[in-house]
Amino acid sequence: MYRSDTHGMVDFSEDVSSKDLVSAAAEGFDSVELVKRFTTATMGPSQGKLETVNTVAVLAEARGETIEEVGTTVWRPPYAPISLGALAGRIFEPVRVSSLHEWHSDHNMTPILAGQWIRPEHYGDPSAEVTNVRTNVGIIDVTPLGKLDLRGSDVPKLLNLLYTNKWSKLPIGRVRYGMMCAEDGVVLDDGVTGRLDQDHYLMTTTSSGAGQIWQWVEMWLQTEHPDWKVHVTPVTSGFTSINIAGPKSRELLMRLVDDVDLSAEAFEYMNVRTGTIAGVGDCFMWRIGFTGELSFEVHVPAGFGLHVWEQLLEKGADLGVGPFGLEAQRIMRLEKGHFIVGQDTDGLTKAPSTGLSTLIKLDKDDFAGKPELEWALGPEAPELPVLVAIAPTDPRLVPDEACQILREGTTEIVGRITSSRFSPSLQRSICLGQVAPEFAAPGTILTVRLCDGSDATATVMEHHAHFDPEGVRLCG
Amino acid sequence: MAEPEFRSSVTTLSATPEGVPALADESALTKVSVRAQVGASPLGVDFTRTARRGGVLIAGIRPDEWLLLGSANDVEALLVTAQFDASVNRIDVTHSRLCLRLTGVRSASVLEKVCSLDFDDMMFPNGATGSASVAKVSSDLIRDDIGDEPSYLLLADRSFGQYLYDAIHDATTEFADSP
Repeated sequence: MYRSDTHGMVDFSEDVSSKDLVSAAAEGFDSVELVKRFTTATMGPSQGKLETVNTVAVLAEARGETIEEVGTTVWRPPYAPISLGALAGRIFEPVRVSSLHEWHSDHNMTPILAGQWIRPEHYGDPSAEVTNVRTNVGIIDVTPLGKLDLRGSDVPKLLNLLYTNKWSKLPIGRVRYGMMCAEDGVVLDDGVTGRLDQDHYLMTTTSSGAGQIWQWVEMWLQTEHPDWKVHVTPVTSGFTSINIAGPKSRELLMRLVDDVDLSAEAFEYMNVRTGTIAGVGDCFMWRIGFTGELSFEVHVPAGFGLHVWEQLLEKGADLGVGPFGLEAQRIMRLEKGHFIVGQDTDGLTKAPSTGLSTLIKLDKDDFAGKPELEWALGPEAPELPVLVAIAPTDPRLVPDEACQILREGTTEIVGRITSSRFSPSLQRSICLGQVAPEFAAPGTILTVRLCDGSDATATVMEHHAHFDPEGVRLCG
Repeated sequence: MAEPEFRSSVTTLSATPEGVPALADESALTKVSVRAQVGASPLGVDFTRTARRGGVLIAGIRPDEWLLLGSANDVEALLVTAQFDASVNRIDVTHSRLCLRLTGVRSASVLEKVCSLDFDDMMFPNGATGSASVAKVSSDLIRDDIGDEPSYLLLADRSFGQYLYDAIHDATTEFADSP
């Protein structure tokens, strides 16, 4: 069982076949140490990690003995590859923190490493943080959100090329959501971009995609369109980004802003304004929401970020303002059914699978991924997985993320759970998942294989949003 | 309401041992990035070179980018007189960029501990600029001597501030005078 009938490679590093090992044994090199030195099996870069067991087993067969009787070669440390730097120098492991990091550390932050960023996962009780946002108002440090300053008369051309939707007519003061695809039509990133002035835009990317998207943008500009008049500057950490979310968020922000009309009529959803917050000028305020609540995302010059954060907490004390962390944000976005690129999508998820096909404008001249998406949405379209909201039948059961979804009564995999949490707002478990199209219709009963090997049932929901599917709360 | 106060991303400064190059945090300096088309020279300073004008250090850090460092008033005055055409953009990066200054006769030796650039006077003289990884962080380096003393400015993303300060400070300690 350790070799094939026709022999074959045992040590892929050193090109040693089982036939070589049998021949070596026949020539008298029949101890494990001799066969190793004679054939060089286990002496390559993999240092026996892959091939030792098979080498010994083949030798045992040749000697008519057991593996135990043959034994193994002597292993010397280090058993795992180790860099010289680890032995003789300092290893540099850069970490990034926002301007609020010390405040978080002083206020019971449980940290989580997100890429190079150290972020607050929560401040003790993420469920309570969710409830406070849904009831009062919460603030979260979202500084790692990627931010690119775009300037120049050709920025609309660039946006039309990068995003699947249209950008030529975005008015000043407006914000638009966009999805980016790679050239194979796979979802690359998403975010909102706002037009701040005639030739000035601010693009946001996912936190994890910030560096990659900057490179992606520069690649298109430098290699395909060097003639375009666009300057891109990464400003991710130049602004302390704070999302103020909850039914009392407007009331709180109004206490700190004098020069922008924050009323619902003057500052509608998906708008952006520039103004002064707590005495700090040149702040950007966006009316957008990832949590599903009325919310304002403010971007404050980072040197003054702590000042604005502390002022929000001080001026909103009577409103019940409190900080919330990444975990609470993840729960609320899942309640609202917002997908996360890289979590609910993977390296094969094409844009139509996300349910946002209306954002794919095939009548545009060109954009990254257009040929693949034309095919994916055309008459010969392949059967792509569909992202759906899923509610387990047992409301207390939270399937682990990546649990497989099976065709009932079989072991055929027809999908997987991509996100799952217990919702404090709904008092039941909530999931997003990718399923084959035949399982995507609302009301379909799914079979979820749990990590302990048992099966559970779950139902496909009508909307991605488990919570407030009509979006009433967003309007405040 | 409390007055806003600029806070650097370097929140904890370490004591400098006797005899080692001095590491200072100059992040509060106003920093403006001037962007133009490749080949243009709106400030008359070449790529990889610096010039001082009216109290402002102008550094050509990329073929299409110049960094202006100085007091807010001096930088603004220079920008007013510069009279750029419409193809030139200026972006205030004061809050985006960390700025550290390392000064002392053994500064180059310290930097060579954390960066693979050749800081020999022949290769990186006063007035030179370069971009490289410093302790694994993408950084811009500017040689800006103070009198006869070698001095280097290091600019990097603000979020790495404390990490970079600690890494460079750690590299200086080897050069402390023996007790």
